[in-house]
Amino acid sequence: MQLTAGTQLVSQGTPPTARTAMEQKNTVRLKGRKVLIIDDDRINIRILASILQNEGYLITEADTGEKALELYEGLKPDLVLMDVMLPGIDGFAVCRELRARFGDNAAPVIFITAKTESDDIVEGLAAGGVDYIPKPFRRKESLARIRIHLQNKILNEQQKALVDQLKTANQAKNKLLGMAAHDLRNPLASIRGLAEFLRDGTVGQLTPDQLDLANTIFETSQSMLTLLNELLDVATIEAGELKIHKEPHNLADLVEKCVYLNNINAVRKNTKIVYSPPMEAPIVRMDQSKIKQVMDNLLSNAVKYSPPGSTVNVRISGFHPAFNVAVQDQGPGIPENERHQLFKDFMTLSAKPTGGEKATGLGLAICRKIVEAHRGAITATNLPKGGCEFSIMLPA
Amino acid sequence: MKYEGKILLVDDEAHVRKFIGLILKQLGATTIFEAPNGKEAVEIYQRESPNLILLDVNMPIQDGIQTLREIRALSSECAIVMLTSLANRQTVEEALSLGADNYIRKDTPKDEILAALRQTIAECFTAE
Repeated sequence: MQLTAGTQLVSQGTPPTARTAMEQKNTVRLKGRKVLIIDDDRINIRILASILQNEGYLITEADTGEKALELYEGLKPDLVLMDVMLPGIDGFAVCRELRARFGDNAAPVIFITAKTESDDIVEGLAAGGVDYIPKPFRRKESLARIRIHLQNKILNEQQKALVDQLKTANQAKNKLLGMAAHDLRNPLASIRGLAEFLRDGTVGQLTPDQLDLANTIFETSQSMLTLLNELLDVATIEAGELKIHKEPHNLADLVEKCVYLNNINAVRKNTKIVYSPPMEAPIVRMDQSKIKQVMDNLLSNAVKYSPPGSTVNVRISGFHPAFNVAVQDQGPGIPENERHQLFKDFMTLSAKPTGGEKATGLGLAICRKIVEAHRGAITATNLPKGGCEFSIMLPA
Repeated sequence: MKYEGKILLVDDEAHVRKFIGLILKQLGATTIFEAPNGKEAVEIYQRESPNLILLDVNMPIQDGIQTLREIRALSSECAIVMLTSLANRQTVEEALSLGADNYIRKDTPKDEILAALRQTIAECFTAE
């Protein structure tokens, strides 16, 4: 069964629609399904037809490949039974043609073959056939094979419809999320700004108790703004609107600047970020603002999860055509059973910030999406001496 | 540095006008006019000829881009700073090409907004 990325949602949330489709698995209705039989031998057709009609299948027949192709589009059969040797184009060619015209939507083709020679079977499967039925027909075997492939086809269709449904629902969710975050942002920014005016005394001196309240309002609205910004990022990225404007830049300059800025906050925790420049100037085609976002996230995480007084090491390595930035912290590392969740949306793991900082659980998910949009990779490795190394690889 | 010119502050949201208004007072401004939409902004512009305009982009009745067009058709003298909510590249580029002097994201911390306004004022007025 072909599963696309969207199918993962089923295992995560099990929405009601998914459950219904799964329950249907055992009760797929096969009666009334349309089967197209292509054979130039009328006796074969008659035998197959009588076997199938007893089961309630609807039969259409064709005695050449050309006729079958003509009939196919109007009929839209659920399954095709096809003889190999036909007067005009042969069964393999018809099968290939159906694949070419209808792709994955083409009905499964089962070859009817007198010769049980493996060459024939292999060629049939290579042409896109799903199975073969040997002549002379054994009723039970033929029916069993047909039933399995019909069931597969129907389940596949249900799966596809379900994936489409979930994709639409996911898009609607992202749109709503985006709108909500967007509309909440301006008022929050004003609340934060007004609280800032209160606490810095511009509009009059506050008592210590009042100052404490103003500080709380400021900090709370600040962390809500961060959360909203990350929600918006996720929503736009998921909606496929992550616009990357790649231009060649020196990665080392960018990293150095980020280290400098993050050190200002790190000092409050008595933590130091130490940067070792690379041997070669790492010129990378990248979206500066997005990669800066990734670096800020990795650096602030490293500070956030390391105990006060730690040292965070940042190192650029690699040569053209790919460069690496590694950020090593002195935090608790990532428990083995949480590794797989690390880069997923809304995943805050058991590790807690060591200085009361906030974690939204979206930062690393956004980092992964940005790095992947640059055709790069992001990884996390626990270090033998303790702590964790986050590393991004970016192609030049 | 005190700014003594007339300022017109245009935004449909009262809380934004209050927040930005406080920043303008910190800047030393004494004459501040406010408008909740582009239409009223143009009316005030014609009556008062302010030197600096802070102009929101998304507003009911008449948006900031249209207002920018109309004011720039009347005068190229005043400084215009766009107030945006999200850094939308296209909108910003359009506004700058239509004659806006700068833009400020409304979720920027107040000290940065203050610095950006001082810079714009320095660029637009001290040369004269």
